[in-house]
Amino acid sequence: MRSTIRFTGVGGQGVLLAGEIMAACKIKEGGEGLKTATYTSQVRGGATVVDITLDDGTIRYPYANEGEIDFMLSVANVSYNQFKNGVKPGGTIVVDPNLVQPTEEDRKKWIIHEIPIITIAKEEVGNVITQSVVALAITNTMTGVLPRQSLIDTMLSKVPAKVHAANQKAYELGEKYAKEALA
Amino acid sequence: MAREVISTGNELASIAAIDAGAMFFSGYPITPSSEVMHVASDLLPEVGGKFIQMEDEIAGIAAALGASMTGVKSYTATSGPGISLKAEQIGLGFIAEVPLVIVNVMRGGPSTGLPTRVSQADIGQAQYPTHGDYASITLCAGSLSECYTETVRGFNLAEKYMTPVFVLLDETIGHMHGKAVLPDLEEIKANIVNRATFDGPIDEYKPYKVPMNKPAVLNKMFQGYKHHVTGLHHGDEGFPTEDAAQCEFNIERLVGKINTVAKENDGLDDLPDYEEYMLEDAEVCLIAYGSIGLGAYEAVQKLRAEGIKAGMFRPIMLWPSPAKKIAEIGAKFKDKIFITELNMGQYSKEIERIIKRDDFTTLLKANGRPIAPAEMVAKVKEMM
Repeated sequence: MRSTIRFTGVGGQGVLLAGEIMAACKIKEGGEGLKTATYTSQVRGGATVVDITLDDGTIRYPYANEGEIDFMLSVANVSYNQFKNGVKPGGTIVVDPNLVQPTEEDRKKWIIHEIPIITIAKEEVGNVITQSVVALAITNTMTGVLPRQSLIDTMLSKVPAKVHAANQKAYELGEKYAKEALA
Repeated sequence: MAREVISTGNELASIAAIDAGAMFFSGYPITPSSEVMHVASDLLPEVGGKFIQMEDEIAGIAAALGASMTGVKSYTATSGPGISLKAEQIGLGFIAEVPLVIVNVMRGGPSTGLPTRVSQADIGQAQYPTHGDYASITLCAGSLSECYTETVRGFNLAEKYMTPVFVLLDETIGHMHGKAVLPDLEEIKANIVNRATFDGPIDEYKPYKVPMNKPAVLNKMFQGYKHHVTGLHHGDEGFPTEDAAQCEFNIERLVGKINTVAKENDGLDDLPDYEEYMLEDAEVCLIAYGSIGLGAYEAVQKLRAEGIKAGMFRPIMLWPSPAKKIAEIGAKFKDKIFITELNMGQYSKEIERIIKRDDFTTLLKANGRPIAPAEMVAKVKEMM
């Protein structure tokens, strides 16, 4: 069973790390995971897309096949518009409503949830850098592709010890908002 | 025991270099190859090696060549624009017969081109990176594991044939992050090739006095032997000469020690120069290399699911090319050959040269984007 997930944002938001964490967790669980990133030559502000492919069997082609993506999360309008069509019809898209404005047509084509990811990281966790972990929690809560505790453990192993508490909190908040959005 | 790691292609290339015995890296950072350098800066000091970030690309290769001349296994890493800048020094490596591994993580060109985007357009550059006559050894990694194994192989070939060796990665494979299974470290260490040495009297040391198609024998420095290394044509002891017979011999030997040897021995070592994937019963042969091969595996599977018996031929040693096998494929598959690459047909030309026909189909792209399996499938179906 293959799952393909896409994170889109702009350079410098930390979406790369979230992708690496998911791939590493799937590998730890005995499957295969691959992360690729496509970005522009602008250091910050350019559209960035991260494709994550998770499979119990072998993965060769590392990019998501356009039109086959199960789940996308976007925190920048420029990259949302550029990459949304990779999501399969009826697939799920999570956007930060302060940064991404889906059209009415988009809402008919995909299941779109609005969660203020950046605000949660900035105001509720108190550290904007944790937005990638908020995004990670939302993604896994909505897709259920990885075992929760295993993902948290993988995430904590990749961040410095001094920010473990903040990232744990970020994960729990992301999970809470995702559950509310699904309810 | 085989080792399972989670890493990127760039990181694995650098880890491989150190496992293969490299003790020196110098270079200059450039997207998308910089991580090769980052890992070198982390790992080389740990094993007692040296790492230097130089002031530019030219100095980056010059220092690495210098280190290698002294006998230390060295490498550098860059992308296409860096190779262009290093071109003159690469020529010195060829004529002076200095082993060096040059990792090129390909991005879109020409010039500064598309810094962050994938390309395979340095294939031709790797064959003829600089002026003059010589033969290049170029390996092309087609998976994360091969970023490791082909870099190790690059070091061994460089020492065996006394020449710069290119290890080509591309942006996709250099940056993709996932699982790689690496060979047992003891096995790697057991198969390390070290350059030949001359143990005779100091006044009899003639490093370039070697038979036709044999590499020079360059001793390590600081052992009492006298060294003269030059980019000018040189005689037995390394001093400049314009003697016509000597110059002719030099060039025939430089080309022959790689191309003739590869032709006579069907390759330069015992490792695979290509992969055949589901070719046995195939009616159509996809030819792809590097990261484009990754999409081609999936295209083969999709085509087979639709009843088209597809297979893939994936060259690993691009130069000298596995010509004997390519000729066999040309004869077997006739016009049912499909070549896909991220340039305007640089390797297609090599295949055309070998099979002496151009009745194959191509899917070429040079806009910095990968080629999806679905695009390959659609094009192959048009052929059938």
